[in-house]
Amino acid sequence: MTTYILRRLLLMIPVALLVTVGIFIIIRIAPGDPVLTYAGENPDPLTIAAVRAELGLDKPVPIQYAAWLSRAVQGDLGRSFQTKQRVVEAITERIPVTLELGAAALLISVSVALVVGTISAIKRNSAVDLLTTSVTLAGVSFPNFYLGLLLILLFAYVVPGHILPPGGWTPFSTDPGDNLRRLILPAITIATASLAVNLRQVRSSLLDVFGQDYVRTARAKGLRERAVVVRHALKNALIPVVTIIGIQVGAIIEGAIITETIFFIPGIGRLAVQAIPSQDYPIVQGVVLVSALSFMLSTLAVDILYAFLDPRISFAAAES
Amino acid sequence: MSGTTLPVVLRAQPESRAYALRYFLRKNPRMLVGVVLLAVLLFVAAFAPLIAPYDPIKVSVSDALEPPSLRHLLGTDDLGRDVFSRVLWGSRVSLSVGVISVSIGFLFGVTIGLLAGYLGGTFDLLAMRVIDALLAFPALVLAIAITAALGPQIQNAMIAIGVVAIPGYARLTRGQVLAVRSRDFIVAARTVGVPPVRIILRHIFPNIANALVVQATLATAFAILAEAALSFLGLGPQPPYPSWGQDINYSQRYLANMKWWMSAGPGIAIFVAVFTFNFLGDALRDALDPRLRRSG
Repeated sequence: MTTYILRRLLLMIPVALLVTVGIFIIIRIAPGDPVLTYAGENPDPLTIAAVRAELGLDKPVPIQYAAWLSRAVQGDLGRSFQTKQRVVEAITERIPVTLELGAAALLISVSVALVVGTISAIKRNSAVDLLTTSVTLAGVSFPNFYLGLLLILLFAYVVPGHILPPGGWTPFSTDPGDNLRRLILPAITIATASLAVNLRQVRSSLLDVFGQDYVRTARAKGLRERAVVVRHALKNALIPVVTIIGIQVGAIIEGAIITETIFFIPGIGRLAVQAIPSQDYPIVQGVVLVSALSFMLSTLAVDILYAFLDPRISFAAAES
Repeated sequence: MSGTTLPVVLRAQPESRAYALRYFLRKNPRMLVGVVLLAVLLFVAAFAPLIAPYDPIKVSVSDALEPPSLRHLLGTDDLGRDVFSRVLWGSRVSLSVGVISVSIGFLFGVTIGLLAGYLGGTFDLLAMRVIDALLAFPALVLAIAITAALGPQIQNAMIAIGVVAIPGYARLTRGQVLAVRSRDFIVAARTVGVPPVRIILRHIFPNIANALVVQATLATAFAILAEAALSFLGLGPQPPYPSWGQDINYSQRYLANMKWWMSAGPGIAIFVAVFTFNFLGDALRDALDPRLRRSG
């Protein structure tokens, strides 16, 4: 197991390096010149050169990359062109908000998927199942930014009493109650898209397990249906679900970008979106890097967990 | 060579092909629903200039912010532009981004996958690391990063979404090629000296086409959704040209005044378009993959 984890970690290094190269290339191919954005109106060539040197943009691109990477591994992602704040600082300030939002979304999505998916699988081809699968398909197809706007409209103007505020953020430490109230709508918005995928996975892997010999044996020896489902089927059906949940981390980061923008939540998604129009390279680079690395780590964690949960999986096979 | 006669024998006559298609659709009624939805969508996009009752970018301040009525089916926006006409025209943007970006992803992804799967060795190793690196990004984050770098234009959105789609095809194709490569008919073709390019195009590709069609259909759904998200963030086509995501973004400023109709049309349109491709993709997968049909 240790060898497997070590090998996976080692394999991650070239991919992570490629990721950083990718991010660097993407940001540097931009046609606009950030220097002009920061040099003020009608700058003279001297000012331009000074700003360019100050931003480190006067050196050849490979050297810029090497310098950026060597600083990045030491935790220095540069400073925001616009606010001069350190990128690491800007991200660490905002990441707890995104994490809280993501965790809430994951919790909603997984718990609803488990309950509804199980019911849907047990009552396969019933009206409940049909309704669930249709709603699921609709959920995957619904644009989350429109869902967010609909929820805002609903709770701000239709549901009386302003139970859930239409946007804004209060940290948990300041006012836990208000924090939770502000969390619900954006969390639901993010959860909807991944809910559909999770629910579908719970249903289909349960159906797979229901066809297995050991479930038939459990039924044949006279166990109650509840024991068969909970103790025998669900436990084994959850293994593939774990993988899907790992993949959801990517979907949640994507969801956070859009949702934080709509609900005015000061997380890293909103940070990135605000940095785009002003060509604030370091911020965009930092956020994209953090999202890619967290996505990679969560995929790795899931792979390890998967091998741990299901001893049948040979580590060699899991690698290929 | 006796091997060449086999495909000729198996090639169906046109009448029996039409019959097979009818049989296929009767056996898979969901396919029929999906195809009809798709046909409607394509019709709207193709004939938007003829169906749309108004010019989608013509400003008419005296008609501003009218709620839905018989004159303006989905109401008007703050500049008096007809929302229904904008929705119809917007389908052109969404569908063209969907089709073009999926084609980009298909072309590059399938080529890489075919080569990596068939050649193996160093090419496979290197290509798959690059694909892994692409997969390490959450798809929409990568698309946003690329479009933001290239500049907010519809062509750039197409490129970005296309790049994001590449790993899906490459992985799927490679896996399928590896599964097919050792089958007897490939070994036989290789033994009689069929050149590799011909083996890949004539013998391997048709055998993995089903899986690719399903992937392409589902990827189109993703592409439309991604284009809407990019447009929503201001990274798609620029105003005044109609685009669903951008129109929803624009409508946000009138949310507080309860002018809900400005976003309802484009919101529902995105949903219908994405749903159509997801539904069709699901139906295709069930119809084309007998294994899934059983475990359904």
